[in-house]
Amino acid sequence: MTYAFMRRLESTPSRYDRGIELLSGGRIGSVYDRMAELVARPGADVLDIGCGTGNVSIACAARGANVTGADRDAGMLEVAASKSTAVQWLEVDATEIEDHFGPESLDAVVSCLALSEMSPQVQRYVLSMSLSRLRPEGKLVVADEVAPEHAGQRAWYRVRRAPVAALTWVLTQTGTRPVKDLAPDIATAGFTQIETERPWPSFLIVSAVKPS
Amino acid sequence: MISLFDTLLRMLPHRAPTGVVAIGRPNRSSPVLVTGNYTLTVQRVRRALAGRDVWLLVADSRGINVWCASGGGHLTHHDVISAIRTSGVRDRVDHRHLVLPQLCATGVERSRIEEATGWTASWGPASADDIPAFLDRGGHTARRERAVGFPLVDRVEMAAMWIGPLVPIMWLIWWPITGARAATIDAVGVAVAVLALYGFFPWLPLRRARGVPVYAAISVAAFGLGAALLVVAGLAHTATMLWLGAACVVAMGIASIDVAGSTPLMTSSVNPSDFEVELLPDRCTGTAECVLVCPREVLVMDGRAHKVRIAEPDNCILCAACIVQCPEDALRFRFDDGRVVEPDAIRRTRMNLLGKRKTSPTI
Repeated sequence: MTYAFMRRLESTPSRYDRGIELLSGGRIGSVYDRMAELVARPGADVLDIGCGTGNVSIACAARGANVTGADRDAGMLEVAASKSTAVQWLEVDATEIEDHFGPESLDAVVSCLALSEMSPQVQRYVLSMSLSRLRPEGKLVVADEVAPEHAGQRAWYRVRRAPVAALTWVLTQTGTRPVKDLAPDIATAGFTQIETERPWPSFLIVSAVKPS
Repeated sequence: MISLFDTLLRMLPHRAPTGVVAIGRPNRSSPVLVTGNYTLTVQRVRRALAGRDVWLLVADSRGINVWCASGGGHLTHHDVISAIRTSGVRDRVDHRHLVLPQLCATGVERSRIEEATGWTASWGPASADDIPAFLDRGGHTARRERAVGFPLVDRVEMAAMWIGPLVPIMWLIWWPITGARAATIDAVGVAVAVLALYGFFPWLPLRRARGVPVYAAISVAAFGLGAALLVVAGLAHTATMLWLGAACVVAMGIASIDVAGSTPLMTSSVNPSDFEVELLPDRCTGTAECVLVCPREVLVMDGRAHKVRIAEPDNCILCAACIVQCPEDALRFRFDDGRVVEPDAIRRTRMNLLGKRKTSPTI
């Protein structure tokens, strides 16, 4: 999957789902399900930060959770709302979550392919805010594109990414980057019991718990 | 050098670091000015503010200039709120006021910043060069500072934006085919064509008429110049002439794709063409927020009636800044067939989905 190409997809929200499905080689659906499996249970209060077209939110709601899907892009939310009414959709930036949720009001925070869109300051702020909004023992699950661990895979990933990134710049005048230091930053924010899964070399799912 | 590199490649996004930047020796009462994180923009604002003591709050505009990012939904009030909360600016100043760049008004809703953060916001001038005078005046813009022009220096910069990538790429393509000297003459023809397009832009009938005859005339003129150079160089063969002609046509075709997007004088070519801004006088309460953000002096305040009126409709470039900012929803788009796009739809989608809005059942 190539992050740069995501900008193109975001400029056309209605194509986002099909594009992500193609770019992930059909694997992204399993990520949505896995994230929901990690956090969602009947009655749990779940917040999806940067929910986009709402797939993780909808997967969590299908397991009985009370889900709020938050995204700053109204076009994305319009697509999300057309897919499900079981989720409360909220047009806010990640840094405005504090205006809508009180301290210790959530059982879980999830975020898929959103942190890499944020500057390092915003990432730190969002992780810190997630910690304060979670109840003790509440769970954070973040999934995002990362550079592969092994040098050979990393080199191939960069070679493969470069032409698509260039094309995306030409088409959309935007670009993006994979997220760095995801697990260490989550630990620095104060989370514990950090566990990581790599469904494929350039993708990471991190789960963590707010200490009681 | 960095500036030259950024100028030649200015059509590509180039991210400057976000956050709060000290210019001069600002203190706890120094003004806070907002801009986007496009490298050229940050450089120019810093240059314009040399010798001043201010805080510059660089919001995440995805490496795109303020005007384009706001129109495309990449710079909104969400980004300014995010910058206020994550940059540490709240710890640097005692006051809670910031100055927004006027040209972000299509995407950044002033009132939403005030509601979310408690910071008040006012509109600065359209051009960074006018910020010092704006500050000297106590934070008020003069009418001329709110109007956007397209002076020669800006037009040459836009020409350079196209020449920068076009000339080397076309030279490399033409070189193995025609040889280095003929390829260089082709490159000169291409550069002259693009320079002519932007140099003579104010006098070209591009805004109202379809541009094809204009672009064709410029291509022919550039071809004539290149052909003369080929004759002088003794390279005037059928093949080199044909390649020169192809170079001029291709270059003008590429440069013409986004002429509207390269100037602040034309409405975006991605918009439908059959609509205009409509003012509902009954709703207008004369706050004149729209007058402060209009970059084309379309709207004026009628002091006697205490209402705004549309004075120069032909100047309007349909940027929607006035619609987005009006606190009374007294402005909206009206299509020729009578359908309207209400302010809420514009605020949610910016300009980039307007074509879709026209047929959307949500209107």
